[in-house]
This record gives sequence, structure tokens and C-alpha cells, in this order.
Amino acid sequence: MKRSLIAWIAILVVCIAVPVLLGHNNYIMSLFIAALVIGGIALAWALLGNLGGMVSFGHSAFFGVGAYVSALSTMEAGVPVMAGLLLGGVGAVVASLVMLPVLRLRGPYFALAILAYAHIFKIVATEWSSVTGGSGGLSGIPAFPRMLGIDLAGKSGSYLIILAILLVFILCYQAIRKSHYGIALRAMHDSEDATRVVGVNSTLLKAMMLFVSAFMTGVVGAFNVHYIGFLEPDYAFNGVWVTLPIIAAIFGGYRTIWGPVLGALTVYLVDQLVFKNLIPSGHQLILGGLLVVMIIFSPRGLVPVLFKSGRKHASA
Amino acid sequence: MTDLILQALYSGLLQGGSYALIALGLALVFGTTKVINLAHGELVLLAAYIAYTVESGLGVNPVLAIPAALVIVCISAVIMYFLVSMVKTDRELNSLILTYGLGVILTNAILLIWSADIRSTSSAWLQDAIVVGPLYSMRSEPMFFIVSVVLMGGLWWWLSRSWYGRAVRAVAGNRDAARLMGINPRRTELVSFVIAGILASFAGVAIFSYGVIQPSLGHVLTIKAFVITVLAGIGSIPGVLVGALLLGVAEALTVTLASSALQELVGMILFLLVLFVMPNGLFGRAGRRG
Repeated sequence: MKRSLIAWIAILVVCIAVPVLLGHNNYIMSLFIAALVIGGIALAWALLGNLGGMVSFGHSAFFGVGAYVSALSTMEAGVPVMAGLLLGGVGAVVASLVMLPVLRLRGPYFALAILAYAHIFKIVATEWSSVTGGSGGLSGIPAFPRMLGIDLAGKSGSYLIILAILLVFILCYQAIRKSHYGIALRAMHDSEDATRVVGVNSTLLKAMMLFVSAFMTGVVGAFNVHYIGFLEPDYAFNGVWVTLPIIAAIFGGYRTIWGPVLGALTVYLVDQLVFKNLIPSGHQLILGGLLVVMIIFSPRGLVPVLFKSGRKHASA
Repeated sequence: MTDLILQALYSGLLQGGSYALIALGLALVFGTTKVINLAHGELVLLAAYIAYTVESGLGVNPVLAIPAALVIVCISAVIMYFLVSMVKTDRELNSLILTYGLGVILTNAILLIWSADIRSTSSAWLQDAIVVGPLYSMRSEPMFFIVSVVLMGGLWWWLSRSWYGRAVRAVAGNRDAARLMGINPRRTELVSFVIAGILASFAGVAIFSYGVIQPSLGHVLTIKAFVITVLAGIGSIPGVLVGALLLGVAEALTVTLASSALQELVGMILFLLVLFVMPNGLFGRAGRRG
């Protein structure tokens, strides 16, 4: 317990040191914010994969829906921006309700059915132009307000918001994993049939993990839209919001809690600062290669390899 | 209006021929390895870009690119097989992510080599109008439709008559039993990847000869192929053909009657509908529920 407390303090110090030391450099700060956005989706994706045992190629659906719900509710209904973030998450959960039937499907069928939903949402956002502004997109989306004397719309302020969102998500993730739901989910990972036999409603548990994952992704999408201030279907439902989080989560270790976030920071920063300069267009080639290498040689990611703490069942 | 609908039916049917080739490759590999190759559409696209290079570089008919496409695409498919076979733990999901990564690699490699520009053939011979009664098409469309039908016939013959074809079916049916009968499952898997590569080569050249190609198309083709295998149910060649024609026709009708923006939507909706209403596909028997 003491060790984890020290670890938390160290992480907080590092996180707060970033804007203090680099806050004057807008480019670096925007990279950090973007990396944390990817990290948030990666965390949500990994939660679904680790606890729910489901691989999704459609998280861009939740990201886009969260962004649209928050943007529209703040623009049209005058909802405060901070409440809009939560509404974005709720919107993504509502969107995931229509995905419930696919929970019956296993493995590749689930992964691709979710992808089908992501495509449908994108087309709906493009075609339903009276509400979403169509492919022309929405602009003039309200930015974050001033609170407690900090301009949250600035780079440092936005950084603190996404950081706070991520830390809350990580605490929730830990709480779920420690709860009796987490134990049931861990048992389901070993044998879903056996778990059902002892009276666990596995479909309900999977649905709950889908909701949690969708909510997290929706909030991150809502954060991103207020930070960027612009939205269009191609951007909101872009495949990048699936590809990068998957690579980040696999790289860091999707069965750990910190892996996806650390993976996102590493992968995104190295990609933007190094690979992008080497190959301006098509630099994701290297990331794809990284994904392939990780799956073949270390499918559990780097965090478990780097921090071998001796706990045999560290993963849920 | 009837003319328009007839024309849409006709164009959709012709388009369905290439879809069937792509979907058959995907289904064949899934049959033997139980892996959905998410990079399969990118293999098809690779063949299409090779056709583009042969046409723009050598100034000849892109159909002549088929031998080059066969060699390069089959080598890529073999490399994919070896990478997929290196996955040891949690095979079903890890190999899915692996092939997703391979798709990212291929898409970006295509982007690097050929840029993001939209390409299409400039061959007047391929684009000449062929008129059958009230129906119009480019010459390349019926030509490649016939090629597809011939290839599918060949594949059917190979699967039902030849030793390796029967081995592929045996491994798809029961891997352990097939091994006991003296079939090497790994070699059979390799063969299925090569056949998928051959089908992808022809489909890629066909797609370039009557349509436009761009780097993001590979992903779309993979999804379409998957939709078709879901429509068909796993393990049925006639089913795949019917599913492919159905998708082609549904897309063409949507473009004619509604809008081209909705073209992709129809495949997705068909896909979800079949999954919910007839989870074993129109012709299949294997279960896919968890």
C-alpha cells in the first residue's frame, strides 16, 4: 500500500512538472494533450479487452458520438462545457445501447460488427446535416471556461483537464478490477461457460464493461472537441481513433492499467517527433510494424516486461 | 425508371464478380486458419496498384499486369501466413490484431509508394461501351465477371477434386482429424493463403480496370469481403457468390435510387441484419455465437 502511494505521488509530480517546465512551448504541450487523448481511448479500449475479453475496431464511434453530443448540447442548448463532457459520455453510452445485440457474437464477429456501427454513425453524421452540419462540420464550439483563475482553454489548462479525466478513469478502472465484478470478469476470462454455471450473468457484465468503455471514450471525445473547437464527421469518426489507441494499448500492455496510457505517450510522442520527420506521409507504417512485432514477440506489452514486480497474477 | 433499375441490377451483378473473388480468399483463409485476415483487402489493393504501375510505367494494357501482381501479392500473402503462424498465445484475438497491423503497414506502404491521389485506368480499350439490349457497361466489367466465374469454377473443382483442395476442406472441417489422416495442416494453411493471394490478384486488377483506387480502399474491401462471408455463412462457395452478387446489386440500387453517400451503409445494414436475424448466414451451418 505504501509503495503504491509513493508511486501515485511520483506520477502526480511528473504530470504537474510537464506544464510547469514545458508550458511555454505550445507545440510540445499540444503533443502531450493529443497523446493523453489517445491514451484515454487506449485505456477505454484496453478495459473492454482486458475485463470484457472483447476486441473492438469501432471505438471511433464512441469518440465521435461523444464529441457531437457535447458540441451540440453546449452550442444549441447552452449547457456548460464541463457538463457537456459528461453528456458526451452519456451520449456514447446511449450509442452503445444499439450495440448490445452484438454482445452475443464472439471474437472476430464482435470486433467487426462494432466496426460496422462506427461506419453507420459516420454516415449518419454526414447525411443528417440539419443537426450535425453535415460534412461541412461545426465550428464555433465553446472552449473551456476560466476557473479558479486558470484559463482552462489554454494549453496548460487543457492539459490539466485531460490529465484529471485520465486519473479519474484510472481510479475507476482500479475500483472495478478490485470489486466483485472484477473477480467475476477475471473468472470469465478463464472460462466463460464455467462462470455462467456458477450463476454469473456474463452477458450483463460484458454489457456493463461496454458501457464503461463507451462512456470513457465519449468523455475523451467531448474533451477533444472543446479543445480543438471544430468538428466534422471525417475527423470525429476517423480510423485514427481506433488505430493509434490499439497500437498504444498493445505496446504498453493492454492487461495492465498504466500500460495503455504510457504506451500512448511513448508511441504518439515518438511518432510525431521522430517518425513524422523521417516520413512525412505514411509514417504510421512504422507503427503498424510495431504492432505486428509486439503481437508476435510480446503480446502482453512492455509494461509487464519492464516492471516485473513478482506478482504472478497482476493482470485481471 | 425500370430502365434505371435494370441497369443498376446489371452493374451490381458485374461488380459482384470481383467481390466474390475477394470474399472467397477471405473465407478460404478463415476456413483453414480460423483467422479473419484484416489485411486481405490491402492485398487486393496492392494488385490494383501494380496494374496502375504497369499501365502508367510501361504504357500497356493493365490486364498484362496480372503475372506481376500474382507474384508480388502471393509473396505478400506467404509472408502474412508466416507472421500469423508466429502468434502463439490467445490466437483468435491476437491474430486479428496482428492482421489489423499488417493492414496498417500495407495501407501506409501504398500511400508512400503511390501517394494519396485517386487513380484510374486510362485504357480506352477497357472503357469501351458494351451494349447488351438496354444495358450498358464498360468492356472490362463483363470481361472480368467472366474471369471471376471461371476462377470460381476452377476453385470449386480444385476444392472438390484435387488432393490439396480436399486437404483444405478437411483442415477447415476438423484440423485434428485431418492431421490424423496424414495431412500437414500448416502446409494446407500456406496453400490457402496462396490461393487467397491468387484470387486477390485477379480481383485487384479487375477493380483497377473499371473503377478508381486510393490507399484507403483496402480497408473498405476487407469489410465488404467480411460482410459477404457473413451473408453467405462460412463454408459455402455458391453462398459466397450469391452473397457477393447480393451486395453488388444492393449497392448499385442504393446509388441509383437514393444517393452514392449511402452506398457503404447498405452493406453494413445487411451485415447487421443477417447477424441478428439469421446468425448462421443465408447458406451456412457453423455457429458464431459466443
